Amino acid sequence: MVSTEFKVALGCIATRLAVMCLFPSLQQQLDKSVEFSTPVTSFRSLQEGIYLLRNNIQVYNHGVVHHPPILVLFLSLFDSDKLISIIYASLDGLIAYQLTKMTKVFKNLKVQSWLPGLLYAVNPLVLLSCVSRSSIIFTNFAISSSLYCILTEGNVILSSVMISVAGYLSFYPLLLLIPLLGMLKSWRQRMFSVIVSILSLLILLLFSYNMLGGESWSFLTQVYGSIISFQKVFPNLGLWWYFFIEMFDTFIPFFKAVFNIFIAAFITPFTLRYHKQPFYAFILCIGWIVLTKPYPSLGDAGFFFSFLPFFTPLFGYLRYPIISALLFLHAIVLAPIFYHLWVVLGSGNSNFFYAISLVYALALASILVDLNWAMLRIEYDNGVPNFKLKVTQI
Amino acid sequence: MALLEKLHRRVVDMGLVPRVIALLPVISTLCALFGFISIAILPMDGQYRRTYISENALMPSQAYSYFRETEWNILRGYRSQIEKTVNMTSTERNNIMGSWLQEFGTKTAIYENDQYGETLYGVMHAPRGDGTEAMVLAIPWFNSEKEFNVGGASLGISLARFFSRWPVWSKNIIVVFSENPHAALRSWVEAYHTSLDLTGGSIEAAVVLDYSSAEDFFEYVEVSYDGLNGELPNLDLVNVAISIIEHEGMKVSLHGLPYDQLGNNDFFSRFKILCLGIRDWALSGVKNPHGNEAFSGWRIQSVTLKAHGHGGHDITTFGRIPEAMFRSINNLLEKFHQSFFFYLLLAPRQFVSISSYLPSAVALSVAFAVSSLNAFINNDYASISLFSKYNLIAVLVWFISMVVSFVISQLFLSVLPAGLLMTISLAVCFLPIALSGKVHISEPLSYRLKNVAFLYFSLVSTSLLMINFAMALLIGTLAFPMTFIKTISIKASAESETSLGSNISIKTEPNDEMQLNEHYKEGISEKNQQRQQLKNLSLLILTNPFISITVFGLLFDDEFQGFDIINKLVSAWIDLKCWSWFVLCIGWLPCWLLILASSFESKSVVIKSKEKQS
Repeated sequence: MVSTEFKVALGCIATRLAVMCLFPSLQQQLDKSVEFSTPVTSFRSLQEGIYLLRNNIQVYNHGVVHHPPILVLFLSLFDSDKLISIIYASLDGLIAYQLTKMTKVFKNLKVQSWLPGLLYAVNPLVLLSCVSRSSIIFTNFAISSSLYCILTEGNVILSSVMISVAGYLSFYPLLLLIPLLGMLKSWRQRMFSVIVSILSLLILLLFSYNMLGGESWSFLTQVYGSIISFQKVFPNLGLWWYFFIEMFDTFIPFFKAVFNIFIAAFITPFTLRYHKQPFYAFILCIGWIVLTKPYPSLGDAGFFFSFLPFFTPLFGYLRYPIISALLFLHAIVLAPIFYHLWVVLGSGNSNFFYAISLVYALALASILVDLNWAMLRIEYDNGVPNFKLKVTQI
Repeated sequence: MALLEKLHRRVVDMGLVPRVIALLPVISTLCALFGFISIAILPMDGQYRRTYISENALMPSQAYSYFRETEWNILRGYRSQIEKTVNMTSTERNNIMGSWLQEFGTKTAIYENDQYGETLYGVMHAPRGDGTEAMVLAIPWFNSEKEFNVGGASLGISLARFFSRWPVWSKNIIVVFSENPHAALRSWVEAYHTSLDLTGGSIEAAVVLDYSSAEDFFEYVEVSYDGLNGELPNLDLVNVAISIIEHEGMKVSLHGLPYDQLGNNDFFSRFKILCLGIRDWALSGVKNPHGNEAFSGWRIQSVTLKAHGHGGHDITTFGRIPEAMFRSINNLLEKFHQSFFFYLLLAPRQFVSISSYLPSAVALSVAFAVSSLNAFINNDYASISLFSKYNLIAVLVWFISMVVSFVISQLFLSVLPAGLLMTISLAVCFLPIALSGKVHISEPLSYRLKNVAFLYFSLVSTSLLMINFAMALLIGTLAFPMTFIKTISIKASAESETSLGSNISIKTEPNDEMQLNEHYKEGISEKNQQRQQLKNLSLLILTNPFISITVFGLLFDDEFQGFDIINKLVSAWIDLKCWSWFVLCIGWLPCWLLILASSFESKSVVIKSKEKQS
């Protein structure tokens, strides 16, 4: 008898492989869409990096590749296209497996244990993101592994290592170390976790320094510098690009700092406020980063949503779930259409797409705000739901 | 935020929420009504605006037009030659025309397409420009009514000859002679952007000429501008065409309006043009294309000029329209971008912009969203948890109906005849009645199916709003009766117990009244149920995408006979890549299938407290 988590994982892998086989051209189409592919996650630039690496050309001197060196090296080991498909699919399968395992940890959750995994498997956002071979899946996997290690096994070392891997892959997940510390029990463990993460990050960076044809730190500016300073002002679903297109050059550094601080600013407050619900704080932080990061894609949002089934007890408290859901649905349906109107047909302009990316941000924000409210309400009721009580303010 | 909190508190205090929820079906209908009214008042004074040339560089009719009587003889000469070529093969005809074009130094080439025939085109390089931009003068040999376009062809060649003598051009001029204004021209445009060797840069604008009589005189000009898939040319180009035509003293007809109605400009005439405009816009590509449709999709602005009637203006006057238009377009330094891309014309010189007309389709989309909400919360199953089996099954059924619709759309693309499609559609509508008493679904599932269906339809219609407004309005209007289909619930065996004992009431009637005249009521409810079932049946038939669009075509457009429109929808996709067929099949049909599934008899279900959220 195969356990449920294996079934879910296999189902997840099977759907991915089926979609990849049925629609072979889908990968390239999705890789060109701004919703699923950003300059720092696109598979095209990853392939470019692999090509440069194989031909012994400096990978980070051309401003094309923004993927971390170890990832480029790892994928350059695989020649065949099919193998890469299988790697991507199985990573998603692993995430689904971990989600299912994690569900079993929460004993009092009234949800079937296979549900979060299944929802992850059929979630079109994650599915398409996986098919597009966006490298965000590696980050997602690292974050999910970190949660898995700490929740199911209580393995502090591995969990901290995975967080630094996630940070190594796309920088901002490094902030998730803070909510992770909130999940640990004692100060000794926390110190230990911080030291382990820093060490592992250093090892990863040193390893990258030594790799890829000669010792060079150039990857630091290309990989992390480009993310932090938003080097490629490229339309995406985030809040950054339009802002920096419109701005006078002199103000740009200041506002880039502001935007970066904005991302970091809410992480600690979330952790402190919800120190009794550390897992919740962790997920909230993921949502916050998805909302405010410079190069978001739908793969991020899909990953964030896969954790929502863990909070089914809160659903009754949500004040405007219908509005949030409709906003989000409309945003993701209209975004490609407005992009098409702007870039292909020329009958619209950039404001169309920008407006819809604002709607998208509003949807995410309203989901976050609503989740906050729901958690505060359930705290107010001391964990015993009392939906009859009408509270307009806490 | 504080204000919102206060408002929220006030709303809760007044108990408005349950009242509003009870009124949701009415709100939905009101939304739709608002949509219709807001579009019906557009032709009223004060709602529309006068058109104006937005791009200052265009300056239509500012330069004197020289295509006059001196060119008439040349034109007649060409025409007498062309008249002899009616019965020739297209190769022979194109060879003759090609040799004429080469006489004054035009580079010509013939694009050969196995399926759609040959297309001759010539590029005249601009004496003053850098040759990266071009204007196209397209002349189909046979026009949309399959008449030999003898006047158009002779105008085309004599205009080309005339243009070649001018030193003012800063954009290349491309003259195209295609077999017909639809697939042949479209395939040439596609080839121009992909495979042709002889090209003249990016095409800024295209003018299609249609002058099918061999006479020297005509009465008025019809301007067609609807592009494929909801695209319209920039309003500036249409304005330029109209202002030039009127400047030359001719009358402009839009959407096939006959001559005697051209002078009118009152509410009803504007309303008529508005409605015809929406119809033509929605069915553009499906209806007989005029030629300008072929150019949509590559940022090319295009219009078709068609000469109608006998007597009045001479053919060189018609020639002066493309001449002056080309002079205007020639002045452009950028692509057309100044004026509106989304507009509705009410009269040649009057229009409404998107901000005025969009609310109507938005309201329709909202009406569907409200209906979806209604199916979700306005019944006893609102409190079922989000991940209950009913929701999951509903989503699954939606997915299946999507797949089924996709398969149907693909099957009918090539293999199956339209008559069969109609028969199947009609037969399927009777399933709920035929299987009544045999097949049941649970009542919450029925509601959830509706919820998903309307939500999906609302999404489809919202996504069409900007890109193809007329289509969104058309399918929204035609499909709206779907929201009146009610769930038919029959008594479950366990219901009598629950209605007495359980505190979860399932029926709408109060219990005591129910007991008083139970027998009487049962008879009534059965009759009601039958009536409701018949009502559902008629609504289902009415809102089936294929039946509905066919009926619409038969009633409001004299171009279609029988099930013609289905075939034309299919061929519009194959020949022109016009995706109206897929809007019907993948946008509308899944929703209809879901509603069909939800209209099966349903059994009420007692919700266990475990499944409830609270």
